[in-house]
Amino acid sequence: LLSLQRVLLLVASDVDALCACKILQALFQCDHVQYTLVPVSGWQELETAFLEHKDQFKYFVLINCGANVDLLEILQPEEDTFFFVCDSHRPINVVNVYNDTQIKLLVKQDDDLDVPAYDDIFRDEEEEEEDSENESDGSEPSDKRRRFEEDVIERTMKRRQRREWEARRREILFDYEQYEYHGTSSAMVMFDLAWIMSKDLNDMLWWAIVGLTDQWVQDKITQMKYVTDIGILQRHVSRHNHRNEDEENSLSIDCTRIAFEYDLRLALYQHWSLYESLCNTSYTSARFKLWSVQGQKRLQEFLADMGLPLKQVKQKFNSMDMTLKENLREMIEESANKFGMKDLRVQTFSIHFGFKNKFSASDIVYATTSLMENTEKEGPETTNFIRALDSLSRGNLDKLHQGLELAKKQLCAIQQTVASCICTNLVISQGPFLYCCLMEGTPDVRLFSKPASLCLLSKNLLKSFVCSTKNKRCKLLPLVMAAPMDVEQGTVIMVGIPPETESSDKKNFFGRAFEKAADSTNSRTLHNHFDMSIIELKTEDRSKFLDALISLLS
Amino acid sequence: KHRQHMRKFKNKGKDAAALRMQRVEVSIELRKAKKDEQILKRRNISLDVKEGSLSPGQDRPDEVIQLSLEEIAEAVNGNNPKLQLLATRVARRLLSKQKDPPINQIIELGIIPRMVEFLSGADNAALQFEAAWALTNIASGTSEHTRAVVEGGAIPALISLLSSPHMHISEQSVWALGNIAGDGPVYRDALINCDAIPSLLALVSPVTPVGFLRNITWTLSNLCRNKNPYPPLDAVEKILPVLVCLIQHEDKDIIIDSCWAVSYLTDGSNDRIQLVVDTGVLPRLVELMASTHLMVMTPALRAIGNVVTGTDQQTQAAIDAGVLAVLPRLLRHTKPTIQKEAAWTLSNIAAGPCQQIQQLITCGLLPPLVELLDKGDFKAQKEGVWVVANFTTGGTVDQVVELVRSGVLKPLLNLLSAKDSKTILIILDTLSNLFVAAEKLGETEKLCLLVEELDGLEKIEDLQNHENNMVYRAALNIIEKYFSGEENSDLEPQTGQDGLYDFSVEKQDFNF
Repeated sequence: LLSLQRVLLLVASDVDALCACKILQALFQCDHVQYTLVPVSGWQELETAFLEHKDQFKYFVLINCGANVDLLEILQPEEDTFFFVCDSHRPINVVNVYNDTQIKLLVKQDDDLDVPAYDDIFRDEEEEEEDSENESDGSEPSDKRRRFEEDVIERTMKRRQRREWEARRREILFDYEQYEYHGTSSAMVMFDLAWIMSKDLNDMLWWAIVGLTDQWVQDKITQMKYVTDIGILQRHVSRHNHRNEDEENSLSIDCTRIAFEYDLRLALYQHWSLYESLCNTSYTSARFKLWSVQGQKRLQEFLADMGLPLKQVKQKFNSMDMTLKENLREMIEESANKFGMKDLRVQTFSIHFGFKNKFSASDIVYATTSLMENTEKEGPETTNFIRALDSLSRGNLDKLHQGLELAKKQLCAIQQTVASCICTNLVISQGPFLYCCLMEGTPDVRLFSKPASLCLLSKNLLKSFVCSTKNKRCKLLPLVMAAPMDVEQGTVIMVGIPPETESSDKKNFFGRAFEKAADSTNSRTLHNHFDMSIIELKTEDRSKFLDALISLLS
Repeated sequence: KHRQHMRKFKNKGKDAAALRMQRVEVSIELRKAKKDEQILKRRNISLDVKEGSLSPGQDRPDEVIQLSLEEIAEAVNGNNPKLQLLATRVARRLLSKQKDPPINQIIELGIIPRMVEFLSGADNAALQFEAAWALTNIASGTSEHTRAVVEGGAIPALISLLSSPHMHISEQSVWALGNIAGDGPVYRDALINCDAIPSLLALVSPVTPVGFLRNITWTLSNLCRNKNPYPPLDAVEKILPVLVCLIQHEDKDIIIDSCWAVSYLTDGSNDRIQLVVDTGVLPRLVELMASTHLMVMTPALRAIGNVVTGTDQQTQAAIDAGVLAVLPRLLRHTKPTIQKEAAWTLSNIAAGPCQQIQQLITCGLLPPLVELLDKGDFKAQKEGVWVVANFTTGGTVDQVVELVRSGVLKPLLNLLSAKDSKTILIILDTLSNLFVAAEKLGETEKLCLLVEELDGLEKIEDLQNHENNMVYRAALNIIEKYFSGEENSDLEPQTGQDGLYDFSVEKQDFNF
């Protein structure tokens, strides 16, 4: 693939990227390819890393970053530098799509990219010249000529045509770039690559599963896409784990087994108590409206309906009565149906390490995300990244458990913040969108200075808000959320998310809108995140920025 | 009728000549296709604009004249001179619209013969002018449109208007005649038979305004244009002296059109080329070949390229005019079409006697040729292959050695990977020529090693699996003749002290 040159791996800090990275690392190891790994959390770091390494490296692999901007434009690489881009960010920048020399995109063939046709957005130089110099291409003169009222008309016509073409181009690009969304998980793409090369291992498959589950937990893809991709992975799972099933009793300590499950979508419940998981999973907490007294009541009724003793429900899941656990999923599902929660079970996968340790794919996503965005400062910037990456190896159960604990704290913090936002009416309708701003001094506000955590919070908050409000119009609005980022520098982090509807296509228009609002108000913003819908903003500029955003979207 | 192509091959070389003939045909067809496309493009311009009404008032709000097509016909056919003028002007305006001029509707009104009558009304200059303009624009359409004008009897009337005392009227007639001539050889010759040329030429004088001269030059170029048949020789003989004057003009458009005219005239049999050579215009053409303007460079190069397809003497005239000094730059030009035409020109010079090949070497054409073969446009590379093929056919052994020394083998062998079997065949043919030369010098083994060192043997071996039978046989022939197994052991590369093969081209030790 990449010959014997040393390769620079630039990896974004999301769980899908980490998983793709793990797979690629394993492949590199197989093929004895030397590489250097550099984590990049945003465009600034990406540029710095490139500048630092461009003299030593000719080959750069970008994971979950780089596809949605004109790389050649921002990095200005030498001609003998090549980029391999595996990135789920969509839309892919058109220059990246049509550059077939320096930029190699790794995308799944059946991913529908809807890229505009080449001729609609690029003009070949030849045509360019012809247009500007009125057919100076040295072709034979015309054999007949009409005399026009004014001969200048012809020139203006050409200019007009050109203007029309440019207007059309702008329109096409606007349509194409208007919405941000995500394509197939990079981990899955990378796994596909391994599979094509017949180098796919069970570990790699698990990482692909975690990558996909990350997209689902982070609400980046549609339900449809999730189910489709689960189906694809399920085929791989049965291929890889077939042999083990025959001799199920022969599980040994170091044996890894992946299994498809129709599991409860209750966060971390196997490592928590059922009660705490019910309270801190956005799906259940929003539907019970747990922030209210009635909500708490409903939860009690629900537990009663299942006939589970409160004592059992509140103790560690591991220690629950085996007899109760046997039909637990069915029981919960049945009661959930009565309470209007028709899809409490989802298709997912779990992994067994030996006898003792069993994790569901979403457990890993929560744990790894928390490790990645751990706000307790320890060591250099990259510590979190390395820890998160390590937690994905099955030899590092202690890191994983550490992550699980952090994740529980995070989920609790999210639920408490959601509850307080709703109870104190912090979610305000601004007309075209809902807005919520966390103030400095709010408990746990530090946690939400990190992008993935803030996004999780926003999505949970929006889910809960939609369940709590009676205003039908508000139920259909997207949400903009801001949280303090750096108190000393006086900055906030702001994220925009699409409306919470069942048929949501998960397409996000805030990226472009933020850009325009910032331009029109000269707000001091930093579009550093690989998701364009996450920005940093000077606290003082927030109100004028918001005003511009409102009038832009109205 | 392909006789005119035959003379483009001065090589007596068997298959190669036949192949070359087909090649020229193809390129001519391509040129034609391109031209047609160009015309279509021009027409498209007028189709793109929003629907316009037929009333001229809409275009110019300040004019109140509004006539329906019926009213136009009525007025034109009537006897009121004022109404005739008014209606003709309205019709002319309609025909001058940028978008969708109603040419068909105007023709269907049946007023063309009437407009032709107006051309002769010397007492009404304004009406003459409007009619001439209207007819110009009708004739600018399709062949059918042009035919309507010609069948309306416009040719003699327009020719007599050439000598109108009003310059704008004679200029408009020139334009109209240009459109008629541009329709094709039939109407071109109809004009010539009506003796249009002397009156046209009489308009060219030192005091003629540039704009007018441009129109005359363009019309003259249309009179030189088109084959099947070519324009009559005596007509060409009349036009050429004036054309040679016009080509000296400083105005770019006049130069461009006269250059194209000369290129049409040189695109014919050797006696036609001779007429052009005899005017002494070749140095000017070579000078224009070096122009920075693509639009000037292209027809000049085409004309010279045509000349060197002629006899050895005609080719020599082009060489004497300095063509070899200009070609290196054109071979390195960024435009693929220029590269290709330049290489085509060079290929015909390389097809000449060894004295001309020697001049080619002396003027430093080999380095740019090697560059072109190495990284030029593919079509240009194919022409470059022809240069080498012709060179190895007609060149002396010494000249062939010089060619190999210039590093031609490497890019040539690389081109064996081309998809085009004709090109592959010519290269294999050329290689055979090289081996013949090497045999004469007793240096076969060195050439074998050189070919092998440049990965050529591998490529030739691969060609034995080529789907084209001729390619397969040519490759097999070379392998059997020069690379047969038992000799291989004697051909172990001997390495020099620095590890390089001591016959490598870079070190200039290759001397067959």
